Amino acid sequence: MHKISANRKRLFTFILLGWALLLIGDRIGELRQYQGAFVAMYALAIASIILLTGYSGQLSLGHSALMAVGAYAGALSINNLKLNPVIALIVAALVAGIFGLILGIAAARLSGPYLAGTTLALAISLPTIANQFTILGGEQGILFDIGAPPARFGEGFSQYKWFFWISSLAALIMIWMISNLMHSKFGRVFRALRDNQTAAQLAGINIGRQKAVAFGLSAGVAGLAGGLLVMLISGVSPSAFPLSLSFSLLTGAVVTGVYDLKGVMLGGLVLVAIPEIADSVGSRVGGSDGFTMALPGFLVSALLILAVLFLPNGPGKLLKKKM
Amino acid sequence: MKRISIVSAVAVAGAMVLSALPAQAADPGVTSTEIKLGLSSPQTGTAALSYGKLPKAMKAYFDYINANGGVYGRKIKLVARDDKYLPTQAATQTTNLVLNDKVFALVGALGTATHTKAYAAAQLAKNNVPDLFVNTGFSGFDNKTKYPTTFLVLPSYAMEAKIIAKFIADTPTLKPQASFLIAQDDEFGIDGVNGFKLGGHTFTKAPTLYPQGGLSSALAEGALTALSAAPGKPVLVLMGTTDTTATLLKAAEKLSLTTKFNWIVGSVGGDANTLLALGVKSTTIDGVMAASFFPDAKDTSDEYVSQFMKINEKYNPGVSFDNVVLQAMNSAMLTVQALRAAGKNLTRAGLIKAIEDKGSTFAGAGLAPLNYSATSRVGYNGYWFGQLNAQGELKPFGGKLTVYTTDSATSAAPVASTYARKSIPKNGIPSN
Repeated sequence: MHKISANRKRLFTFILLGWALLLIGDRIGELRQYQGAFVAMYALAIASIILLTGYSGQLSLGHSALMAVGAYAGALSINNLKLNPVIALIVAALVAGIFGLILGIAAARLSGPYLAGTTLALAISLPTIANQFTILGGEQGILFDIGAPPARFGEGFSQYKWFFWISSLAALIMIWMISNLMHSKFGRVFRALRDNQTAAQLAGINIGRQKAVAFGLSAGVAGLAGGLLVMLISGVSPSAFPLSLSFSLLTGAVVTGVYDLKGVMLGGLVLVAIPEIADSVGSRVGGSDGFTMALPGFLVSALLILAVLFLPNGPGKLLKKKM
Repeated sequence: MKRISIVSAVAVAGAMVLSALPAQAADPGVTSTEIKLGLSSPQTGTAALSYGKLPKAMKAYFDYINANGGVYGRKIKLVARDDKYLPTQAATQTTNLVLNDKVFALVGALGTATHTKAYAAAQLAKNNVPDLFVNTGFSGFDNKTKYPTTFLVLPSYAMEAKIIAKFIADTPTLKPQASFLIAQDDEFGIDGVNGFKLGGHTFTKAPTLYPQGGLSSALAEGALTALSAAPGKPVLVLMGTTDTTATLLKAAEKLSLTTKFNWIVGSVGGDANTLLALGVKSTTIDGVMAASFFPDAKDTSDEYVSQFMKINEKYNPGVSFDNVVLQAMNSAMLTVQALRAAGKNLTRAGLIKAIEDKGSTFAGAGLAPLNYSATSRVGYNGYWFGQLNAQGELKPFGGKLTVYTTDSATSAAPVASTYARKSIPKNGIPSN
């Protein structure tokens, strides 16, 4: 019997997933389409963290800044270069990738808390620096308008469904590419770096170069996610990328399982759903303002503890075990 | 008999056709018993220190109106969502208000960077969702083509800057001094710098602009130290939110520079109660000059202030009355008048038209006139100048209260207004 290769199996799975998402997009309301687009965007951003931390063993607390780089690059491509929005999203990924590569080269000698500190400084300073350039629109920021959906989709095709399609397809294609990459030579090299740098070096791997490549790839994915984020809010400004975004993404990655991409959609879902669940619980249970305001943080903390206790490798591994 | 049958058949067919025609769809958020309004504003985070009271104060006024019969029998329900003063949150929360909570209109949204994103993301223009009494002075929102459903309540920062420029030029103790501007690098800075240019005022040094939420104590101390080298008693204009005004004043306390400057604070950042609550000493605010278009929130002789205080005490217990509460209740009162002006058959288009047609006649606490019309979305269009005392009361500068009105776009000099404010509706309940 003819055996299907792993690569083809993955491609088939992603095509099926895409088809399922398009069907789901047709059957849900505008609000869910909008939220779905956010889930896909967050999933992609979490995938960028997993690529860097889970696969290559580098810790970044500055992914919100890398998203901002992509977001500004995309917005400038649309506003100043009049590029097609899809091309602008690709530019967002490329520019953030190059920025990440340069940062990766500079930070190649750093690891652990030193790397975390450097990326943290980046997350704090980059949005502030963005304020200093008039071309970036200061605190007001600049528009990121992808325009109305193509007329051929019909009048009933809403802007939110258009967002959902773009966000979902971008996330699926990019996660498929990462997944393939991780099953290639690059993936094995990255895992070798993560597990034992000395052994990897003895095996002939150029540690500094590979770490920079991992940083660049991760930044590119984060940049695309940043482009999608500002597409969803129709504009980019420094306050759209607070430090808390970096921590939210890390939370999503831990819930997902930092060593596995299979649960990224769950991570994205958690980031979108927690405020909704907290709102709903708060309004049903009632209680003081302090309780209502602390509830989202409490739910996230509880989820993190539960994830670390019961699913340290993420829900993807659980599925694998059952299968 | 045959004729009767034909007539009957035609009548039945006609009835079927008529019944098959879609009834005119009612706008979301309005029933025979309720009007649902939405508010996205910071309830947590640093901006909540200044503006966290907004939703509850508005709700308190609406509760008061509901207890007194509502608007044509409909109770007002305010759905408030926390956007943390972040653009992403404002976009998602406003979209939630429109699509999930299905509000009839938005009211009292706060912030420019936040609300520009929210307006586009929630597709307020496409859905014709009225966007009432937005709390920002960014003149860009007065663009009816871009924001066809938006009505501002604050005067623009450009107007404020022009009037401050006139105040400095007209005050003999201030005119000869060096002058500096420290402004938030967003609509405050953009509009403020433009306004001073239009007002013909040139600062001694280029304005110091800082990012929203980015003015740390260290930066404030650095900026003040640099400016303190100027001789005499320089004029220092602060245009930003109250929390950043507090940061700067506390930095001046630390550096013993409180008496070095003639302080002028913008209307948004000059709420004395909030400044005191944020730890600024009463001796520091004593003598600070501030622009305002409202009466002083501590002035119990003002009929609007005293009525709103009573409502606040009963429907918002335990919350101190300040400029934010006054502003929130005033916006709520304007909202009730707008809803009443739109009539019993309430529609979104009707509400927008009602404000365009009658908005300039609404009663409100503001001492400057309202400027709504078919072509203008600007609310109040003027300021008066006062000086804070150690109790946090804003008293008219020089003992006489003069309101100046102006525009945001021309270099026409501000003029003293002859506007006579309307009396508050009986018991604070509009009956227009």
